[in-house]
Amino acid sequence: MSTRHILLGLLAGGPSHGYDLKRRHDERFPQARPLAYGQVYTTLQRLVRDGLAEIDGTEADSGPERTMYRSTDDGARELATWAGEIAPPAPFVTNEIFAKLVVSILAGGDPAAYLLAQRTAHMARMRELTAVKTSPAADLATVLSADFALNHLDADLRWMNTTAARLTNLTAEVDAA
Amino acid sequence: MSTMANDLRLAVLLTQGSDRREWWRVTLTGVGAALATGFGTAAAALASLEGQYHVDMASGLLDHPGERSGVIAALLLLLIPVLGFLGQCTRVGAVHRDRRLAGLRLAGASAGQVRRIAALETGVACLVGSMVATVFFVLFLLSRWQSPPALAWVGIALVALGVPVLGATASVLALRRVVASPLGWVRRVTPSTGRGPGWVLLGAVALLVLTALLAVANTNRDMPDYKSGRAPLILCGALLALGAGAILLSGAVSKLTGRLLAARTENPAVLIAAERLRDDPWASARTHAAVLLGTVVGTGFIGVRQALLAEVNGTKHLAEDAAFYTTGVDLVAAAILVGFAITLFGLAVGAAESLATRRRGLAAQIAAGVPYGVLGRALLLETALPLAPSMLVAGTGGTAIAFWYAMAVSDFTVIPYGALLVPLAVYGACLLAAATSLPLLRRSIHPRELRYT
Amino acid sequence: MSDHNPSTVPLLAARGLVKEHGRTRALRGASVELGSGEILAVTGASGSGKSTLLHCLAGIVRPDEGSVAYAGNRLDQLPEKQLSELRRTDFGIVFQFGQLIPELTAVDNVALPLLLTGTARKEARERAGEWLERFGVRGQEEQRPGEMSGGQAQRVSLARALVTGPKVVFADEPTGALDSLASEQVMAALVHTARESGTAVLLITHDALTAAYADREVTLKDGVVVSAADAAMGSLGVSQ
Repeated sequence: MSTRHILLGLLAGGPSHGYDLKRRHDERFPQARPLAYGQVYTTLQRLVRDGLAEIDGTEADSGPERTMYRSTDDGARELATWAGEIAPPAPFVTNEIFAKLVVSILAGGDPAAYLLAQRTAHMARMRELTAVKTSPAADLATVLSADFALNHLDADLRWMNTTAARLTNLTAEVDAA
Repeated sequence: MSTMANDLRLAVLLTQGSDRREWWRVTLTGVGAALATGFGTAAAALASLEGQYHVDMASGLLDHPGERSGVIAALLLLLIPVLGFLGQCTRVGAVHRDRRLAGLRLAGASAGQVRRIAALETGVACLVGSMVATVFFVLFLLSRWQSPPALAWVGIALVALGVPVLGATASVLALRRVVASPLGWVRRVTPSTGRGPGWVLLGAVALLVLTALLAVANTNRDMPDYKSGRAPLILCGALLALGAGAILLSGAVSKLTGRLLAARTENPAVLIAAERLRDDPWASARTHAAVLLGTVVGTGFIGVRQALLAEVNGTKHLAEDAAFYTTGVDLVAAAILVGFAITLFGLAVGAAESLATRRRGLAAQIAAGVPYGVLGRALLLETALPLAPSMLVAGTGGTAIAFWYAMAVSDFTVIPYGALLVPLAVYGACLLAAATSLPLLRRSIHPRELRYT
Repeated sequence: MSDHNPSTVPLLAARGLVKEHGRTRALRGASVELGSGEILAVTGASGSGKSTLLHCLAGIVRPDEGSVAYAGNRLDQLPEKQLSELRRTDFGIVFQFGQLIPELTAVDNVALPLLLTGTARKEARERAGEWLERFGVRGQEEQRPGEMSGGQAQRVSLARALVTGPKVVFADEPTGALDSLASEQVMAALVHTARESGTAVLLITHDALTAAYADREVTLKDGVVVSAADAAMGSLGVSQ
């Protein structure tokens, strides 16, 4: 996930300051990991260094003084290019569950018990997310991001099911190697 | 020829794997073919006679061409209920058969191949039935008749082979939609039955009646008083017109009662029955065609019989002895009863098949707490509602014929009240035939029907 | 949200259910409890006995052994006439498909259970119309099930199951024949209405996304309920 492009996107609507950007990010992308304020600040500084954003002045009507940022023309171009690029479909398979299974077999642990516990945790999280998206207060952004997570968890579950059915074969293969 | 053998092998393979109800269809089709062959060969053998003979049967009723032609016509008209019965039989398990053949078509079989396989399946069933009936008839014939003419043998052979050929042709015709668009038939949706008053059936009936009339006219050609031969012609015409009218009326009335009752009724059973009528009004009309025709014939006959017997008993100078006339009348009565029995059997088969096709949906209804009683009443009302008005018309028409005949013969000294009872009796019998499938309803809540995986 | 409290008497409780279909043993001692207003998902692979469990709990079939108690009364000992009445009044049933009468219009299908309990036609149709509106199928009252999409027909089925105000709704793979968006609409409608009216739901599914709508999940394997902790893997929809 490219934080700098997301910040550029939020700036596309008009000048804004760091705290406001963080608030709007968390609002716009519910269920995502919340942005740390420090991360917003360093990212903005890098954008300015690369000429993609510039300082628009300061604002201090109430409370501490705040630096306002706005996007440059280069920033708008960079944003358009990024938004049009396809996301590379799974270039590397990073699968923590699979890694734990293999390690568990190597170390003589109980991979089946681990899969079972993982499945239970997945189901609990899925119930939680379903409750979030079916609550009357949920807006469409919440529903869609919950759906994204639910479908990924569902895919994990399916993978775990087929893996569980082939655990004996996997153990034999890992032990033989 | 090798393709034929190949198709035959495929047909045998496919029927071996088919379910019990498909065997029912094959068996009942064979029975229907045997009945058709029996009536057909008898008519053919009689038609081979020309002029006066002494036939040692039925009190000399078969001796003269005039009466013989009547018997031939009656035998041919008996084919109408047999046709109706066969029509019902082809529907037993038809959903499965159609799905199976559509699957075959999707698996790459050519349209012609599928048609041949279906034709073989029905053709073989008909052939077996027809052969059994032919063998028995020939044995019976040889025991009564020392040397039947060549013409009789030709006729018998034609009928024996014609019945399976016709059966196979009809099954190919019925499959035309499956062959044309197989995709729609492999889905789980219950296919809608053909709409309209069943032109194939009506055409076949018209053809039969025409043949019967020709047979009558033919055997009468040398008669001096050929005008008297016209009475049966007029009678047949009236019967056909009334029958067709009753069928068309039945369809129209089904549609109307369905619509009116569905909108107003407070009774769930009536609601279900009415909506089913509204959905396919011609289904019941087709089923009841033979019943209505039979009612017209039966009602008319009761009148004719009463008048004729009064005449026979009241007249001193008869051309033949009284037994000649009473035997004739009794034979006709027997023919009508046989026709009714076949029709009612067909009706019961049709009701059972309609239940079997819907058993999955019915099981779901019962599971959801719809009482058996409501579904059973709906089933009976489906028969009772459209049949009542058309039965009224058919009964009135038949009674009119009876009164007309009584008037012509006896100048109203005999009033055929018996004719009025026939429609009531037929109506009751039809409801009983439909009710024979009710025990099936009780058995349809099998958990197997509620599984969808 | 559910106010399920396991310490009180459950609304529906099955103990040690055994049921054989011919030579196959569909259930081999399954036990399950459903609290008042609780939404319970029963998951398991094809052939694990899920549907048979539902049939026994809903009083559609009688178990060979074991007991089913509804609100403290033994269901497995009731005569069929009373069971049928119970299914009509206290239970609502939704299958994958087939519970709508194809010749009846949507509104008449929903009104049918009310007519069966003696409600006047006009009132029954009005109430059915209200339920159709709640499930978002307004404007299609006079259409027949065959003229609707699968999702619409299934929402009509839900309306039919809920129109009598049942205590329990039994749903056997209610989304099994639907695409993901239609599944979501059907499940959201079912769960929302059930919570609003305090109706308990026994939901049978082999789809994890559908099971996630429930408050709790039990898994069936080879005809017995295995608790979540020792539920064997492969229980969820490998076949799908």
